[in-house]
Amino acid sequence: MEFGPALYHEFGEAWKTRDGYRLAKTISPELTPSQLSSIWQSANGAGSYKAARDDDVKASIKRGLSSSSARLDGIGQKEIKGWVEVYFAYWQAAGILAQVQQTSSWTNAYEQWKVLINALIQGYNSHEFEAWTIPCLYVAGKHLRLFAMQADEHTSVNDNSATAFQDDFDPELQKHQKLEDCARVLNKVFTICLSDRAPLEESRKWGLYYIVNLLFKTYFKLNATGLSKNVLRILTAGRGDMPDFHAFPKSQQVTFKYHEGVLCFLEENYAEAEKHLTEAWNTCHKDAMRNKELILTYLIPCHLITTHTLPTEKLLEPYPRLQKLFLPLSRCIKQGELHKFDIALQEAEDEFVKRRIYLTLERGRDIALRNLLRKVFIAGGFEPVAKEGDKPFRRTRIPVAEFAAAISLGSEEKVDNDEVECLLANMIYKGLIKGYISRERSIVVLSKSGAFPGTGV
Amino acid sequence: MMPTWPTASPPQGVPPSTAYAATYSAPAFTPVQVRQTFGQSYSAPQASYPTTHPYGPAQSPPPAPANHQPTAASPPTADEQPRKKVQWPDSVRSYVQRSFFPANMDPTVSKEEMEAKLKETIMRASEDNLLYSIVWETMPLPQQIIKQEREQRAKAMAYPAQVQTPYSNAPMPISKKRKSADLEDVANLSITPPWRTGQGARLEDRVTFSKDKRQATEESSDNTSKLNKYEKRQKRFNGGYVSTYRSPSPPPGDGPVVGTCEKLEKSYLRLTAPPKPENVRPPRVLKNTLELLKKKWKKDSNYAYICDQFKSMRQDLTVQRVRDDFTVEVYEIHARIALEKGDLGEYNQCQTQLKALYKLGLKGKANEFKAYRILYFIHTANRTDLNSVLADLTPAEKKDKAIKHALDVRSSLALGNYHRFFQLYNETPNMGAYLMDMFVGRERLAALCNICKAYKPDVPLRFVTEELYFESDMEAAQFIIDNGGQDLLQEKEDGTIVILTGKAGQTFESHKAKAFARVDIKGQI
Repeated sequence: MEFGPALYHEFGEAWKTRDGYRLAKTISPELTPSQLSSIWQSANGAGSYKAARDDDVKASIKRGLSSSSARLDGIGQKEIKGWVEVYFAYWQAAGILAQVQQTSSWTNAYEQWKVLINALIQGYNSHEFEAWTIPCLYVAGKHLRLFAMQADEHTSVNDNSATAFQDDFDPELQKHQKLEDCARVLNKVFTICLSDRAPLEESRKWGLYYIVNLLFKTYFKLNATGLSKNVLRILTAGRGDMPDFHAFPKSQQVTFKYHEGVLCFLEENYAEAEKHLTEAWNTCHKDAMRNKELILTYLIPCHLITTHTLPTEKLLEPYPRLQKLFLPLSRCIKQGELHKFDIALQEAEDEFVKRRIYLTLERGRDIALRNLLRKVFIAGGFEPVAKEGDKPFRRTRIPVAEFAAAISLGSEEKVDNDEVECLLANMIYKGLIKGYISRERSIVVLSKSGAFPGTGV
Repeated sequence: MMPTWPTASPPQGVPPSTAYAATYSAPAFTPVQVRQTFGQSYSAPQASYPTTHPYGPAQSPPPAPANHQPTAASPPTADEQPRKKVQWPDSVRSYVQRSFFPANMDPTVSKEEMEAKLKETIMRASEDNLLYSIVWETMPLPQQIIKQEREQRAKAMAYPAQVQTPYSNAPMPISKKRKSADLEDVANLSITPPWRTGQGARLEDRVTFSKDKRQATEESSDNTSKLNKYEKRQKRFNGGYVSTYRSPSPPPGDGPVVGTCEKLEKSYLRLTAPPKPENVRPPRVLKNTLELLKKKWKKDSNYAYICDQFKSMRQDLTVQRVRDDFTVEVYEIHARIALEKGDLGEYNQCQTQLKALYKLGLKGKANEFKAYRILYFIHTANRTDLNSVLADLTPAEKKDKAIKHALDVRSSLALGNYHRFFQLYNETPNMGAYLMDMFVGRERLAALCNICKAYKPDVPLRFVTEELYFESDMEAAQFIIDNGGQDLLQEKEDGTIVILTGKAGQTFESHKAKAFARVDIKGQI
């Protein structure tokens, strides 16, 4: 919005209704270059490219804000002063952003936007900004991150003066320089939300989850999941004096739970991961296909580990990408086709690794193996019944060689008996098979009742 | 819509029982607790520093007179950033109080200076989110910092290259080592040349450990600081991500230094200011240095000396921004030596650099070191980094002998295939065995647990010897005895010794749990 009566009017209106989102719109950078440059010129004095003096601009913003809010309750001189700084920073940012496409000066855009967000932070710290204005922090934070990523992308890696005093150089240093800086700024924002001691109704704590979600996104990008864990810990510790999680907007809940789930997933804490991801799944908007797809990407491997279950084709129907990802593997697991499983895993390895689910899916091999061994057991048939009318028992003494033959099936490599025993021992140790191995006689003695727990035999 | 989960296997479609799911618990890598120490095999030399802090009373300070808690006492009510709502930790409060004890006052430092410094210190800590991680009990008081800075300014005139600022190792809290030791070093330097040979420098200055450890022993009673240290460490090491923020770093120089130093040997000293060309050796000289060091290593095998020399070589290369095949060679040799001596801390530094150097397209033994890297992450059970390594490998690299071996090791462990694992252990290429030795013990325990649960009633000792690749039955038996299984060994009538696996029960489980928990972060010894 151009700096003029319209902006000041909007500012006044937002104030009247205490509408934070409306206020936040007045500092949004999501405008076309021409809109941005008209903002830049509006305060520069009617299209004149001769830059006005900063003090003049500030004074004019101050006049505008004061006049439009003259009749408002509750807005003090201190607050006005704070907002003048914010809009002044916004005005300067608009000037840079208007030309950023041509100049690629994303670093400048980032730095100027940082001035804006710092002005906001300052506003909360010392100019008594009220909590309903936090959507301004959302807008500022969201774009700070975007500008940081742009800046990093456009920074040449050759500028490495900063490494001069280190014992070793660090190529990652340049790659995410601005994004790392951005993470620190967002952390500051997080702190001013968290540390608000005002009563909950008017507390900045309502901004926590939006900011935390931004932090998560940033840390994930930086590959710094450890830092995300720190944020989680702080949140857990402060949960006592925070609004109920379910009182936050659902979109924030979903994003938060998704990240929390993925963090647990990466730590191999699958039970917790499943809990969080399921909650995200249940809360997610039914049409948010992309989000649902992301949730399922981790929820499906989770289920494979925790409950040994696979997704149905119906569940995957709306997600062609997930079908491609999971169906081939699922089929092999179901059929107990060990060798084909290995091939399928190898074929999709790059994709799995990229999504960080490779190491989890790899463990699906246990289930495939269990299913194969189970087939051997069933093929073994029943023991002759001693007496007419007795319930027949399956043959429970099975030579290791029979399992070995099954495992070698379809593979060109012959697996020796010792290795087969090792695999069997693993199955028993993990509780996938009930029974024991007799080394002396080279047979496996399976339990008469439920040799393969949970599978009906 | 809820997802529906059909069962994985049974054609009959019987739903799996829930109890079943609970018993499935064999992660590929057990998530490990970060520990303070590396492990018993590396009992790092205990620091000889006094454990009591030279400054100020650590225990119950005398009550502060009321008039000595001036404005700054309720930490920074700074006008430009009054963080009125910040909760100051008690440790910070008492730090502020301590600063104003009459006993601690320094006549040469004015109150204004102190307050300013205090404010600066605390605000910086707050901004960097270090309020809870700094060990305030050992933080020098503002007057001490000011005095130190003055001294250093004075010294800077004479020896700009070796100046230490109190924040030189930021964002770490200031350690005593830096204060007490290095300042002396600087003082010594005014008489002896900086490249004095190895014997002069203390071990602590050369090897990368000891600082954290020392703090740990000092404050092991202090639970909060322990926890914070844990977080901090995590922050530093997790996911291979290192925060690159260094608070007040010295102003960058105009470009790479061009060294003029002709001496071959130089001991390592951490830089906090631009290096002086006369103290830096150009690549031409460094090449001779490397040859000399190779010879010395073969002759004396003095690791402390070699490590120190290599660190200073690396530093000289970095400050001159020399990144070529020679750089790779230096790092590779240092990495190999560190591996051989089990100094995983140094090894890790080298491998991180090597990774970056290979990425620049420099030649070297890239595959050999990529394979080590995989083994290293297996050892530290670092799943995130392991995943990243997998992501970075090209198909051609996956076929390389050493890398393939390392990948196979990884997958055999992930699937619990100890049979295959120990076969691979036996055929490790290059120096990978040094790394595998680090975790072969815990894998033996894991396998033993497996065997004890699965085999009944017993297995021959020879079977365990062969499966777990012990050198001899003796060694296998000793391993079992060492882990509490002395009652399980039995001699049969025909003379064979068996292990009564059926009676083992939980014998090895606790040892296994302990062994897996003992992986310290990145092998800092």
